[in-house]
Amino acid sequence: MKSHVDYSKLDDVELIALVACAEPDALAELYERYHRLVFGLALNAVADHAAAEEITLDVFTRVWEKSETYRAEQAKVTTWLLSLARHRTIDVLRHRHTRLERNLVRWGDVPDDAGFSRNGPEEVVELALRREQVRTAVAQLPAEQKEALALAYFKGYTHRQIAEILQEPLGTIKTRLRSAMQKLRQMLPDE
Amino acid sequence: MSADNHFLEFLPAYALGSLDPAEHIAVSEHVQNCPVCAAELISYQTVAAELALAAPDAVPSAELKHRLLARVQKQPSLLSPAPSRPPWWQRWPQFSQRAVMAWGIASFLLILVLIASNLLLWQRLTRLETTARSGGMRAIPLTGLTPGAAGFVLIGADGQNGAFVVDALPTLEPDRQYQLWLLQNGYRTSGAVFSVDEYGYGGGRIRAPKNLFEYSGCDISVEPAGGSSQPTGEKVLAGTLN
Repeated sequence: MKSHVDYSKLDDVELIALVACAEPDALAELYERYHRLVFGLALNAVADHAAAEEITLDVFTRVWEKSETYRAEQAKVTTWLLSLARHRTIDVLRHRHTRLERNLVRWGDVPDDAGFSRNGPEEVVELALRREQVRTAVAQLPAEQKEALALAYFKGYTHRQIAEILQEPLGTIKTRLRSAMQKLRQMLPDE
Repeated sequence: MSADNHFLEFLPAYALGSLDPAEHIAVSEHVQNCPVCAAELISYQTVAAELALAAPDAVPSAELKHRLLARVQKQPSLLSPAPSRPPWWQRWPQFSQRAVMAWGIASFLLILVLIASNLLLWQRLTRLETTARSGGMRAIPLTGLTPGAAGFVLIGADGQNGAFVVDALPTLEPDRQYQLWLLQNGYRTSGAVFSVDEYGYGGGRIRAPKNLFEYSGCDISVEPAGGSSQPTGEKVLAGTLN
């Protein structure tokens, strides 16, 4: 008999628990909530729609397979999910063995909540608000810091690689990354 | 490293994963033993974790969801097919000499521990006294979710020294390693960062800031190479120490 559970009303931790019990509808709800975030992260890094879709597929498949390892006391579901996405994306980039590239990495605009629902569980709404805060904070960084940060975060480049790409001294890149993170830490208070 | 012996300037890049490998390892080792840097690192890791929210929004094709659900319902096997590993009865003849020796040593030690434990129990019963901790070396089994994987933690008589051995853990990508964590009151302290060989065998010494008897348990997780300040990855083995 098909369950009549309204998955849209469950919080993320409850959904993960159901995914761990092999409930595909729970995974589908989780996908509905966060696939744009995961796909956006992947696409920004690999600049290839098909590859980004494969990464998204891989990430949610991994959620399905490893949901029983998730620990709510260690991180939010979104943090865990986006960490999986970033690691998978960087793995794909590193396996490509492509030359270092500068282009096509950017930050999301402010505001930009197209299709991002303000309804639903409290944590989904909170995530939308936090997303605006983070984008606003990043937008306030100097352009050169944003560029270095984007290469570090989305591409997974080391500061040495970023220095090579941007043709800047290594010390300059280290300073830019450090300054960017320090400013963001000041602008983004702990939740 | 700055004049006051902290790695504060390196922590933002460490949180981003942007340090060179040698720097990453140096910071990892330092953070394990520096509460100042460990606390700073947590705040930068929080920032780094939220950067994903600032990625441009994008929408995949509608059929991706259907592909996902079809995949999980029809193919519950591993995400990226691992290199085919023959079943255990085929691998048995290929067990490395080291693995057999290690299990032999662990079994011998376990026998010694059991003998010592029985003697202690007999002494307690006859003398009607309790002791906090005494006796010989302790061997604690590690179990987990990875099929076939197992291990032991060995703690010396006074709890000052310890070692561990694991077997049949999956080999990891070059940018990942296993990390052993010691649990106390809900907090985790790193005890070791290690890799396994092609048979999934590995081990080493446990380095802990406190006596090992003060920890209630331990577990092993998958982390970025060089280790993390706190667990971030999948837990593969766990055991109860006290």
